[in-house]
Amino acid sequence: MLHEISLTVNGDHHAIVVRSHHTLLQVLREQLGITSPKRGCENGECGACTVLLDGLPVNSCLVLAPEADGAIIETTEGLSAGGELHPLQEAFIQHNAVQCGFCTPGMLMSSKALLDRNPHPTEDEIREALVGNLCRCTGYVRIIEAIQDVAGRGEEG
Amino acid sequence: MHPYDYCKPTSLGEAFQHLTSPGKVVAVVAGATDLIPRVRDGVFHPDLVVDVKGLPRLRDLTVQAGTGSLFVGAAIRMNELARSELVRSHWSVLADAAASMGNEQVRNRATIGGNICTASPAADTAPALYVLEGLVQIAGPGGERQLPVADFITGPRKTALRLGEIVIGLVLPRPPDGTVGAFEKLSRRQAGDLSIVSVAALAIPEAARPSWRLALGAVSPTPLRAAESEAILAGDLSDEAIDRAAAAAYGCCCPISDIRAGQEYRQAMVINLTRRVVRAIISRMPADPPCC
Amino acid sequence: MAGETNHPVGKSVPRVDALEKVTGAAQYVDDMAFGPGLLYGKLVHSPIAHGLIRAIDMSAALALPGVKAVVTGQDAPRRLGLYLKDRFIFAHDRVRYVGESVAGVVATSEEIAERAAALVHVEYEPLEPVFDPYLAAQSGAPLVHPDLGSYEVVNFIFPEPGTNISEHFRLRKGDTEAAWPRCATVVESTYTLPQIQHAPIETHIAVARWDPSDEITLWAASQSPFAQRDLLAQSLGVPHGKIRVISPYVGGGFGGKAGISIEANVALMAGAVKGRPVKVRMTREEEFIATNVRQSLVAKIKIGCDADGQLLAMEVTYYFGGGAYNDYGVNIARAAGYSCTGPYDVPNVKGDSLCVYTNHPIGSAMRGFGMPEIHWGIEQVMDLLAERIGMDPAEFRRRNCVRTDDTILTGMTMPRIDLVACIDKVTRAIGWGSQPAPSAPNKRRGKGIAIMWKAPAMPPNPGSSAIVRFNEDATLNVYVGGQEIGQGAFTVVAQMAAEALGIPYEWVRVSANPVDTKYSPYEWQTVASRLTWSMGNAVKAAAEDARAKILDIVARYWDEDPTDLDIKEGVVVSYRSEREQPLQKMVVYGLPNENFEGWQGGPIVGSGKFMPTYVTGLDPDTGQGTRAVVHYTVGAQAVDLEVDTETGAIEILTIASAYDVGKAINPDLVMTQIEGGAVHGMSSAFEGLRFDQSGRPINGSFVDYKIATAKDAPRAIHGDIVETPLEDGPWGARGVGEHVMVQTAPAIANALYAATGRRFTDLPLSSEKVYLAMHPEGPELSCELPDKDPPGA
Repeated sequence: MLHEISLTVNGDHHAIVVRSHHTLLQVLREQLGITSPKRGCENGECGACTVLLDGLPVNSCLVLAPEADGAIIETTEGLSAGGELHPLQEAFIQHNAVQCGFCTPGMLMSSKALLDRNPHPTEDEIREALVGNLCRCTGYVRIIEAIQDVAGRGEEG
Repeated sequence: MHPYDYCKPTSLGEAFQHLTSPGKVVAVVAGATDLIPRVRDGVFHPDLVVDVKGLPRLRDLTVQAGTGSLFVGAAIRMNELARSELVRSHWSVLADAAASMGNEQVRNRATIGGNICTASPAADTAPALYVLEGLVQIAGPGGERQLPVADFITGPRKTALRLGEIVIGLVLPRPPDGTVGAFEKLSRRQAGDLSIVSVAALAIPEAARPSWRLALGAVSPTPLRAAESEAILAGDLSDEAIDRAAAAAYGCCCPISDIRAGQEYRQAMVINLTRRVVRAIISRMPADPPCC
Repeated sequence: MAGETNHPVGKSVPRVDALEKVTGAAQYVDDMAFGPGLLYGKLVHSPIAHGLIRAIDMSAALALPGVKAVVTGQDAPRRLGLYLKDRFIFAHDRVRYVGESVAGVVATSEEIAERAAALVHVEYEPLEPVFDPYLAAQSGAPLVHPDLGSYEVVNFIFPEPGTNISEHFRLRKGDTEAAWPRCATVVESTYTLPQIQHAPIETHIAVARWDPSDEITLWAASQSPFAQRDLLAQSLGVPHGKIRVISPYVGGGFGGKAGISIEANVALMAGAVKGRPVKVRMTREEEFIATNVRQSLVAKIKIGCDADGQLLAMEVTYYFGGGAYNDYGVNIARAAGYSCTGPYDVPNVKGDSLCVYTNHPIGSAMRGFGMPEIHWGIEQVMDLLAERIGMDPAEFRRRNCVRTDDTILTGMTMPRIDLVACIDKVTRAIGWGSQPAPSAPNKRRGKGIAIMWKAPAMPPNPGSSAIVRFNEDATLNVYVGGQEIGQGAFTVVAQMAAEALGIPYEWVRVSANPVDTKYSPYEWQTVASRLTWSMGNAVKAAAEDARAKILDIVARYWDEDPTDLDIKEGVVVSYRSEREQPLQKMVVYGLPNENFEGWQGGPIVGSGKFMPTYVTGLDPDTGQGTRAVVHYTVGAQAVDLEVDTETGAIEILTIASAYDVGKAINPDLVMTQIEGGAVHGMSSAFEGLRFDQSGRPINGSFVDYKIATAKDAPRAIHGDIVETPLEDGPWGARGVGEHVMVQTAPAIANALYAATGRRFTDLPLSSEKVYLAMHPEGPELSCELPDKDPPGA
């Protein structure tokens, strides 16, 4: 079955036709060409598909396409507004929080959501917030440092 | 994945019609965090999913005037429970349980209605709902009814829902002031994992000594109250009594060996987690409780 | 100039790929667009572990609208394999593990392909399977490869036809039998570990297009584009020049995307729909069992030392569970064989390292390549010996570890390394010798140490090559065939090119995304922690080649001697005349003569290669030879942990690591490898693929195969870099990407012993195992337990 939905992605409004059983991840990647959310497990475990939906981090692989009607979606592509990197993106670069990069878009969205909700998280709170973003390369060390750096500077998403 | 249709009714009547469509496999979807993996696994092939997030009352999180009970709409999400000051005010054991589930992303979608309707023996919110003696508000073509949550979950992944019925929400009576609760969940990893054993308990102030409610998860076909343990704790809170209560908890459940843990370990953890939860509550009870 | 980094080698300059990756611009294979004509493929997997294929009925699948083709093993009867040709692209006449690809369906959408795959009906005649490598190695075990004797094999691998042994490496040094009586104490023990999976966040994926002209293009997430081209050429019978493999950024490899897994399958499927691209992506569940895994191991170790703690003799038999196909795994057994003692100077050694066929997933290259597997047991027996003779475990290792110029077990002279310095660093960092109190009455705390070594395990002639060329603005493009899999390869390449030429780091562009066998210079594989050393040498040579050409041109231009000239900060300078010539423009256009009467020079292109020339063969009966390997990297790790006695839960407090990398080209990137490796190593101690009695996987998804999350990672990871230059390393550098996780599991086991007094010989660890080992009688209770119904009630 087909549904007409409209959604805003990184500030751009889209009116599109989606299939009932497709996921938001499929819509973003295959219909809108937004490829930063990745297919990692498609089961809500790895977080590589994390996007912000109405400001909250969710696994886009577990959102049905029609459920995204009326939603405001943010992905990594939208983090650098006006050509300037988001403080988290800068911090990820400076702290070498990126290795293979496949988990990075999901990590950035979870990190942004965390700081939006809790501008000065403890290390425990950061680790808890990232449980749903698996990384096999970094050991999470620099990712946590980057978030602490941005939090410490008082800059938020 | 087999294709399926989607609808989002705005009235209960509309919902009932979809749910009773003849010849169709129809499922309710709220958070989709159970549905989509099950369809992907090939264990479930719906023809139609009915999104209940647009129905009245399902997104309510309110205190009922008069009774002071908390109404939690079925489509309230885990993180909304975990982070709600209202829920934490008198029903914090539920907030703790919700916070232990899955990961941040899943908790932003998974709902309490989905959790109890999936009715996994390891359902994270169930032990808390059992000790809070929650009532499940059900609506169907034949009208509305309420069931104690312990009667709602009837077996592993089985509920008392009849064809066409949906869960509107949960009614959680307000525990008396001074009630202390605790929840512990043991899993293979520190977070982001299904439960091996979980224990929720409340100590409720009474005239003479507190009464106790204790519920176990992941160690029986359904979550269950450990009635014998409760009786022991109501009479005595010495170390020896706590041991007896833990032994009684061990006695009342029947853990199995599965992919997450073996039976022997689960049995030992029922004992140790029960003791931990009871001690945690005792340590937070008011200074002059009658505790001997 | 501001913002420019000169002499970048040794400096922690920012990664060249970070910006692309944080903006979401970085493309992986799944992100590439192939247009609306793209077809999708799905593999059909065997549901049984061992059996003959009696019939394949694809009629129902082909009848499904949208299905374009179904391909089976009958379509490609040529064997392939990296070191041993024991595989077919699709199962040919039999299946040997649950998950083996039996057919491939091509359709117009992933959904249709998936449905069609379920409609392919395969009739099997089950054969008796064998799963345990020790049992599989015994005579009378069911034979997984009855035709082993007919397989092509390289001349340094020795399969035993008529058995399940695909490789048997023998190491004989000295006389162990004569040495045992001289030992003050002898320990004999068996250690086991299951198969584990790499679990890269990006699963295996490939897109192939087979043109009507029989040119094949393959886009793959690949650590080995050139090796894959080679294997495709062999197995498809298509010349190398007609095959092109393209690989963009890889979302994590860890060895799993080395060698070959699904790539030939996809190419073959594309061959059935010539002219149309076909994409196959492994789901996470397929990734776990139908791509590659790390081999399992049953290790029998006997070891003895004298009363002073000097190691005298060591006897090991390693039974590697190679899985159903051992084309790559045979070299793991070999590598484990020639390094079978671990990083120790042992005068008498008897080692047998076997790669054994089992009806389990394919054991292939995984980070460490046999070293994590064997160090699990080795580092624990060392602690056992130390305890027996009353010596501190760190001191025991200082006494016995390999040193520069030692004659090691193969008869090779140990190149320059400093393992003692690594031990010293980690013992200092972890506070070795001090016993801090546990954090709560129900906790136990302990520290453990483990050391390691590993050599790059390669054929004797693995080559690297590089090309550099300038743009008009004097920025430099560097072409390499090595892959960026997260380890920072592109960054160190840019650093080395800049350093060798004398230009700022920021002027270098690494043109290797994607690596493309049509344009990139040859690189054997991105494995073995070899790129910094081998590809680095090639890059250095290419940059020096370009530099020499530039100096030659300018020297002639100035009528000076090139030896008086240098390039500094992108400017040619003469030490004699103090003249200067910026590189801009001249590196493309050359230099005009006076009055523009002619020109000199022209576009500058430099090329370089590196291939080790000194690796010798090893005696097949004794494993002795002049130079078994190119070099070793060594390191140490110490772990501080707590155990919750009530649940058995293990909390790793600190991991301290130190590795001798020769020269840290980018110190911070070495640190990020140390950090990631510590967590990967820790996680690997708790991981294990599980199978039922029939060989079916039961935890092949992230739901029940758990990898470390941000909450599981230790709070403190400490790293130290030791720099003992490698003789033929660029600026002395050697690799470290794998070494950082080799010994974490035994370090944890040793710390667990210190904390609990219990020794764990079989991975994976778990809270359950630890709890039950500490409480065989169950929880301590002041009362009796009630009678329980029988289990299952």
